[in-house]
Amino acid sequence: MIEFHNVFFSYQPDKEILKNINLKINKGELLAIIGPNGAGKTTLLKHINGLLKPQKGYVKVLGMNTKETTVATLARHVGFVFQNPDHQLFAETVEKEIMFALINFNFPEHEIKERVERILHELDLVKYRNKSPFVLSGGERKRVALASVLCYDPSILILDEPTIGQDYRQKLNLINLISKLNKEGKTVIIVTHDIEFVADFIPRCIIMSDGRIIADGPTEEVLTNSKLLLENSLLLPQLVEISLALDINPPTINFEKLCSIIKKIIEMKEL
Amino acid sequence: MKIFEFEYKCETSIIHKLDPRAKLVYVILFTVLTIYFTNPLILLLIFLSSVPMAILGKIVRKWLISIKSSLFFIIFIFLFNFIGIFWTTGKIIDTIIISIAMTIRFISLISIFSIFFLSTSPEDLMQSMIKLKIPYEYVLTFNMAIRFVPTLAREAQTIIDAQRSRGLEFEKGNIFQKVKKYIPILIPLIISSLRRAEVIADAMESRAFGASKTRSFLYTLTMSKKDFIFISICIITFTIFLFLRMFSYIQ
Ligand SMILES: Nc1ncnc2c1ncn2[C@@H]1O[C@H](COP(=O)(O)OP(=O)(O)OP(=O)(O)O)[C@@H](O)[C@H]1O
Ligand SMILES: [Mg+2]
Repeated sequence: MIEFHNVFFSYQPDKEILKNINLKINKGELLAIIGPNGAGKTTLLKHINGLLKPQKGYVKVLGMNTKETTVATLARHVGFVFQNPDHQLFAETVEKEIMFALINFNFPEHEIKERVERILHELDLVKYRNKSPFVLSGGERKRVALASVLCYDPSILILDEPTIGQDYRQKLNLINLISKLNKEGKTVIIVTHDIEFVADFIPRCIIMSDGRIIADGPTEEVLTNSKLLLENSLLLPQLVEISLALDINPPTINFEKLCSIIKKIIEMKEL
Repeated sequence: MKIFEFEYKCETSIIHKLDPRAKLVYVILFTVLTIYFTNPLILLLIFLSSVPMAILGKIVRKWLISIKSSLFFIIFIFLFNFIGIFWTTGKIIDTIIISIAMTIRFISLISIFSIFFLSTSPEDLMQSMIKLKIPYEYVLTFNMAIRFVPTLAREAQTIIDAQRSRGLEFEKGNIFQKVKKYIPILIPLIISSLRRAEVIADAMESRAFGASKTRSFLYTLTMSKKDFIFISICIITFTIFLFLRMFSYIQ
């Protein structure tokens, strides 16, 4: 589905940003990429829709080699929501903003209307439909950017730091939306610094540091490896910290599991 | 798509070590020359005279990139001149010569200015402007404008990437459709620059910018022997070019 094979990339000749990336992502997976600032996460994402082409190795998406495919062709299948919504919003109204991609991809008129309507409802944006995207708050602008990509229904969805600036309710909405999309069979790739978000909701986790993938596996395994996390100046999930403080071995990120272990410890003390 | 490269990088070449005021003399004299002359051969000579500067400054690679990335404008200027002059005069050979001259003139200007900015640190530039008794507010404005060119270039790149991800294709369409495709790039670029300017202004005021009339500086500049030698070379070359002009009149 998505395959990185020995990929190297640099913006300037003397400084490699991606160093020998090997990665396989299957259809319908939900995964997170975490890592410190400047690790190369965004650079890696830009390889998936062909904005950047590997200088060594290759990237294949849905069987297409990104070097031989145009960005527009890939973009039809790979939806990419950028880190900063201000980098893409330009239209007079929220509605027109959402139409932009649909028009680029030549959707028929009645379908454009239908899709805009659906996505406005889905992302709670109906009341802003005729407003300028620029007068909205940061979190709202982020949702407009998300809507403007989701509307054309790409089978792979890439979200670069979607949780920034979202209040708790919107974060829950986002989680619901992501899991709904994922259940429909979409592949969802999320880059984030929100480690609790990953621990609670994302089944697969990749850690990047200094241009390399240093861990890749089930979130439960990756995020409980406290040594690895601390070495790469990443925050431990709170549940792991509790586990460590209580000498629970192996540590866990599962809330119910941790509670039952703690209950057992308390019961043993009482006996 | 790649954007201009004007970013200063800390290096230690002879050109980097020159006083910015000396380099400013170079820029002014040679800009005057490129504007003064219309003969394509002499303009080519002026351009070639900037090549050793790039080599001595060890900035050849970046210098080439900034010339290459202005290719779009270069072609535009050539075509614009060509059509315009041919329309009014109808003489094909004159038209070609003048269009070529205009194009070389533009390339020379790009070359001279990129050499200056690639080899001069923003701090040095600021100091020399203060020495030239320019009010601090203007110096700072100018300095920030330059300092944000790389930021702006990278931002433009990101915006292009974001719109391409939503299916915008620059390659397709006729010239009018192509021009229209720059709207989704320019609007976010302008808006986010304005947003940033606002934030920076607030941040500066909250750190007491403008609170007192006089300010102290961390370091100051002095002209040395090599700067005077450099200025002399510039003036001599300038004069030689002026003689060339007289010579061509005699001919
Ligand atoms: N257009 C560019 N030109 C040159 N260097 C770049 C460019 N974009 C990114 N870089 C550099 O590449 C490195 C990795 O950047 P990248 O944006 O991929 O990091 P990231 O992991 O997404 O970081 P963050 O968490 O801050 O978003 C950084 O050192 C950055 O300075
Ligand atoms: Mg990033």
